[in-house]
Parts: sequence; C-alpha cells; structure tokens
Amino acid sequence: MHKFIEKVFSLFIRLMAFMSIFLIIFIIFFILKESLVFFRQVSFLSFITGKIWRPVSVNPSYSIFPIILSTIFVSLIAIIIALPIGIGCALFISNYLDEGLRHFVKPYINILSGIPSVVYGFIGFLVIVKNFEVKLAFSSGESILAGGILLSIMILPFIISTCDESMFNIKNKYLTTSQALGVSKWYMITKLILPTARRSIIASIILCLARAMGETMAVMMVIGNSPIMPKLLSKGQTIPSLIALEMGGAQVGSLHYHGLFAAGLVLMLLLLCINIILYFLQRKLNF
Amino acid sequence: MDTIININSLSVSFNNKSVLKDIDLNIIKNKITAIIGPSGCGKSTLLKTLNYMTYEDQFANINGDILFNKINIKEIPKEDLRRRIGLVFQNPTPFPISIYKNMVYGPVYYGKKDKKSLNILVEEKLKISGLYDEVKEDLNASALKLSGGQQQRLCIARALSVEPEVILLDEPCSSLDLKNTANIEKMLKNLSDDYTIIIVTHNLSQAKRISDYTAFILNGELIEYGETQELFTKPKDERTQEYIDGIFG
Amino acid sequence: MRRYAQGYFIKLWCVLSGIIVLSLISYIIIYIIINGISVLNLSFIFDSPKGMPLGSEGGIYPAIIGSLYLTLIACFFASILAISTAIYLLFYCNSIKISNLIHLVIGCIAGIPSIIIGMFGYTLLVYQLRLGRSLIAGGITLGIMIFPVIEVKVERIISEIDSYIISSSYALGVSKTYTFFRLVLPACKRDIIASIALAGSYAMGATAPIILTSAVMFAPTPKSLTSPVMALPYHLYLLISESISIQNAYATTFVLISILLTINIIASLVAKTGR
Repeated sequence: MHKFIEKVFSLFIRLMAFMSIFLIIFIIFFILKESLVFFRQVSFLSFITGKIWRPVSVNPSYSIFPIILSTIFVSLIAIIIALPIGIGCALFISNYLDEGLRHFVKPYINILSGIPSVVYGFIGFLVIVKNFEVKLAFSSGESILAGGILLSIMILPFIISTCDESMFNIKNKYLTTSQALGVSKWYMITKLILPTARRSIIASIILCLARAMGETMAVMMVIGNSPIMPKLLSKGQTIPSLIALEMGGAQVGSLHYHGLFAAGLVLMLLLLCINIILYFLQRKLNF
Repeated sequence: MDTIININSLSVSFNNKSVLKDIDLNIIKNKITAIIGPSGCGKSTLLKTLNYMTYEDQFANINGDILFNKINIKEIPKEDLRRRIGLVFQNPTPFPISIYKNMVYGPVYYGKKDKKSLNILVEEKLKISGLYDEVKEDLNASALKLSGGQQQRLCIARALSVEPEVILLDEPCSSLDLKNTANIEKMLKNLSDDYTIIIVTHNLSQAKRISDYTAFILNGELIEYGETQELFTKPKDERTQEYIDGIFG
Repeated sequence: MRRYAQGYFIKLWCVLSGIIVLSLISYIIIYIIINGISVLNLSFIFDSPKGMPLGSEGGIYPAIIGSLYLTLIACFFASILAISTAIYLLFYCNSIKISNLIHLVIGCIAGIPSIIIGMFGYTLLVYQLRLGRSLIAGGITLGIMIFPVIEVKVERIISEIDSYIISSSYALGVSKTYTFFRLVLPACKRDIIASIALAGSYAMGATAPIILTSAVMFAPTPKSLTSPVMALPYHLYLLISESISIQNAYATTFVLISILLTINIIASLVAKTGR
C-alpha cells in the first residue's frame, strides 16, 4: 500500500516539476520564436539603431532606438535618485536605530513594496505630473523625469532591504572591535561598513535596474508615451509601455505584432547584459 | 555465538576519497558492540552504510557485501531493512510534533491503527527509555519542549517503536551532560537483552563501561576487534594501545 | 576639525535619508486613506459601474469579485506547480546538474518582466488556444508570474527543516511520501500558506499581465472560466487614463490597498502563530 502511494505521489511530483520546467522553457522559446520571425524582414541592427517607430502608417518603419534609450534613461534616473537616499536610509536603520525601533521601521518601509504599480502610477500622475504642470509651469508634466522620480520611490524598498541586511550583519560583527579601537561611528561607516557592503549595494542595483526597466504601469501613466528621442523633460516611451499600449491593437501575425515581441526580446537582452556586466563587476570587487 | 550482521570486505569512498577500507566485521546478536576511533576515521559512515543511508548518496562508491541475518542487504527492501535496523543520530532529532505523535509516527506507517495497542506500545517503549514517568502527564506536548537528554531518549524510544532487531547509535551522548549520559547508558545495558546494539563513540570510558565487544577503526581501516575487556587490557595491535593511552585522537 | 565635519555630514546624510523615506511612506499612506475614505461608501463596494462614461457613477463590485477570482486561479495554478517543483528538488532530485538547471530556469522566468509574460499569455492563451480575454487566461498568466516567487519561498521554508530530522524519519524505514505528509507538511504548512497568500496579493495588484489577457472595461461578475472579467487594478488604470472619475479612482485605490493589506496581515498572523 505504502509502496503504491509512494509511487503515485513521486510520479505526480515528477510530472508537475517536469511540466513547470517544460512550461518555462516553452515560454522562453515561444518569445524567441515570435520575435525571430520579425528579424527575417527587418534587420536587427536597423531595429535597434533606427529612430522612427511608425508601425501603422502606409510606409511603416520599425525602429526602437529612442524607446530603448528612454527605457534605460528612466531607469538610470531612478537609480541615481534612489541610491543615495536608499543607502543613507539603510545606514540609518542599521546604525542609528535600536533593535525595537528597527523591528517597527522595517515592515513600515516594506509597505512600499506591497503597493501595486498602478497605484504608484495613479499617485504619480496626480501628484508629480500635476505639480510639474501647475507649480513648475512645465508645458507637459508627463516626462522622463516624472517617470524617473516615480520609479525611484518604487525601488527604494528593495535597495533599503538588501543593503540594510548586510550592513546590519557587518555592524554586529565588528561593532565591539571597532569601538574598542576608540573610533567613532561615522568612521566605522566610511571605512568599514560601506566598503564591505558594496557587494550588496551592487546586487541591489542589478535588482532595481531590472525592476525599473521591466516596470509597465507606473511608468506608462506618467511618461507621456510618445516614441521620440528622450530628454529629461520631454515625453518618452519605454519598451514595456509600448507593448502594453500597442499589443492589443496589433493584428496577430502582422509585422507590427512580431515587432512588439522583438521589442520584448530586446528588453530581455538588455536585462541579461546588465546582469552579466554587473556579475563581472561584482567578481572584480570580490576580495 | 550467533552473528546478526556480517560485513565482508566493505570499502566506501566519496568522490574517490576513500573513507572505509576493506572492513571485515561480524556483529554478535544481542550484545553491545562499540566502535571507537578518532573523529573522521569513518565510524559514522560505517553506521550509515549498515542502514543503507550511504547507498543513497550520489557521491558514494560502495564495494563489498553486508549480510543481515545471512541475507545481503541489497536484496532486502530498503524500508524493511531500516525498520529492522534503527538509527539514532548524534544530536537529538525530535520531530516537531507532539511526543505521542513522535512515538506512533513509525508504527502507524506500518499499519498499526488500533488506538489501544498504540497506547500500550507508546507506554512500553517510553518506559524502556526511562522517559515515561517524566512525560506521562503531557504526552501531547510538543517534543521540542523536552530537554536535550529527554529528547535523545525520546529518539531512542522512537527508534524502538517499530520493533527493530538492531539499533545503531551515532555518538548518542556527545551533546549531553553526565547525568543524562548515565541514564542512557543504563538504558542501553537493559536493552541489550532483546536488541543488538552498535554504538559509535569517541568516549573510551563509555565504550569500556557498556560494551561487550569493541572495534577500533583508524583512518578507515579496522585495526582491531574483540571482546571489550581484552581489547582494553591486552590490545594486540600497537596502534590500539597508543589510542587507548591517549597518544592520538 | 575636518574629521568632525565629515562625521557630521555622514550623520546628516543618514538621518535625512531616513526622514525622507519615512515621511514619503507616511505621505503615500495618508494620501490614499484621506482621499479614499472621503468618497467611499457601501454602495460603491456593492454596486456595478454605471454612468456615462461607464465608471463615472456606481461602484466596483464586479471588479472586486473579478480580482478575487483571478487571484484564486493564479494561486491555485502556481502553487501546485511551484510546491511540486520544490518537493522534487528537495526530495527526489538526485543530480546536482539537474537541480542547477532547474534553478537557472526558474531564475530566468523570475527575471522576465511581467508585461512580456502577459504578451505570451495573450498570444498563446487568448489567441492561439482561443480562450479569448477570460478569467482563465488571466489567471494562468498571473500564475506564471508568481510561480517563481512561490517556488523560491517554499523551497527555502522546507529546506530550513533540519536535514537530520528528515534522515531520522527515513531511518525508521518510512517512505518519502509519508515523511512529507506526516512530518514536513505539518511543520511548515503555515509558512507555505502565508507565502502563497503573499504571492497572491502580488498577483492581485498586477496590471500588466492582465491588460492583454483578461481584463475588460465592463463585465458582470464572471459566470464561467472563459468569461471576461473586470479587475481592480485595471479598472483603476482606466478611470485615470480615460479621465473618467478621479473620485472613484481614489475610492478604488483605497479598496484595493485595503484588500492587499488585509491579506498581508492575515498571512503574517498565520505564519507567526505557527512558530
């Protein structure tokens, strides 16, 4: 009897595990397949370097260079804003708060990561975009900068939790030794905690860049969605928002449709490149 | 003398690193056999091999035969073998469920469903391990609430609950204090009337106190095996003498 | 003197960042609560959307129910596959190569942006399998999105059990199945349920995967798996992007956040009492 149950259960588990892995591999190949169709008609180079995305006009043009640039641009702005604040806040939590307060503050910060991106988009639209227009008198509040600011808020909790964890461990490990030498807290932070935590700082950058570049809703609602060359205060369009807005309208099987898949593939390749670059950077920093 | 386990030229290696070399050992029924030797000499691997644990390690390479009641253990269904040869680990491993459920965990698996006979079994085995009087009020309490010594006795009682013929103990007292160690040693002495016990220990005086036979293993080789009295008083091998005298290990 | 200045600067930086982050969170929370509560009433929760354009009056009842259904289907689909994969890796997989491969594959799917998973769901489920924009297509797409989240968590929860405890179970001659159901599952079922609930709340808030696969502007509460549904996040998106009603958007946000918060609180309670 037990033998039988064991057989059935192990068979079930193996089957399900196999199915999951098969499904994932299938998804990856599916995306590859759908996008590679596109590159038979449009060269990869002209796709990523050309400047005009005009899929539905009489003589269509399929190039997403400005869109790729916007995607990277928005994410970089987000990282540039969020990183100093995030690291500072992580230092604050791990070094300046006592144990009890820490247990209260950490879940509080994690609330940020639980808010859905569409809600961020909503608040960003009403607060950031509207203030840009009303208080700062920009012609259009919907801009790359607005997207960057909004994204920076969204990635803050990830930077903070990744950095805080390792900083807290480092502090606990060396605090007494360091104090015994009579050095002050800020000295320990600059000479010990920041250098030792750089691996997790880099890890958090990878994580956040990937999240920022793949983010759809929040960015889409504040960035204006026009595929032009991005400037800080101009509108722009990112790859995810391009897919979200145009996929539903594109005829399945058309070049436009495959072009959107190809854009998705480019996004995934970008993420892969970032991961690889930062992987080697991290290995170089290893000591 | 009846032998229950015969080990014939057993060699075990992990990733081509030899751990046991050509071991021949006959374990005598209803006696306590102690296996001594410095740490890392392969004692624990020997126990795990008897219980078929090593065979499941993908890096292990095993040669030679082990006979249990004159039958090669490879021919005995794994589950049956493990029921008949119990194993208790170095650190207590109580399951994170109640004491009672710990005790009936195995028996229920082997088809004992009747509440009454389960209760009798639990009481009997807990009495053997000397734990019954300490926990009888509170059988439904979590086993994790017991002290370390109690937990280890529970683990031995749990190993007994499936009516094994042989019990393997891997340094069962190394994490316990003197009083608990004495309790367990007393219990093992009593058990040897009905069970064959093989105990790995690096505590020489413990081996001397409780075992009938002792095997000395060094660097994966069986150096000497014989009656405990003889091995400790008149060892035949120089290295055994050195080990007993505390020169290494 | 320079030393003191530097120390002062670092302290200023840390404290200032902390204050910025904490006040930002408080601002967002207060913003949602104050704006939400002032426009929320019972009929908003229990009514269907009405008015012209649709959604400018009435409530969001079908969207609440639609979101709950989507989340349930996603959790069901994802947790069966994810828990099975975790069990396979920890109990049945004997080869390090295979286990590394599976971890790599799971890492890949975790790194794919949700919109691309939505695009896959759109083409395969909605179009090629002819499910149309439907509950089931959206549920499965969300399920694919949360699969790696659940898998990673469940694998960590189970592997936190002392391996010697599992070995002692095997040492009694007991099968893997019995060990799993009698020992492993009772010890960690609460944590597993909590992790599924958290992944569910992640799915409920996600818009990108359902924008193409299941959500529509208006639908009654779904009658079958193949009917299109309304969903809270998508409804919220429409209210703003089509400039339908800012007031109702505030109320919808408040409802969505309240549901997510409730799930989170229940999940952490479930996980805590298990300890």
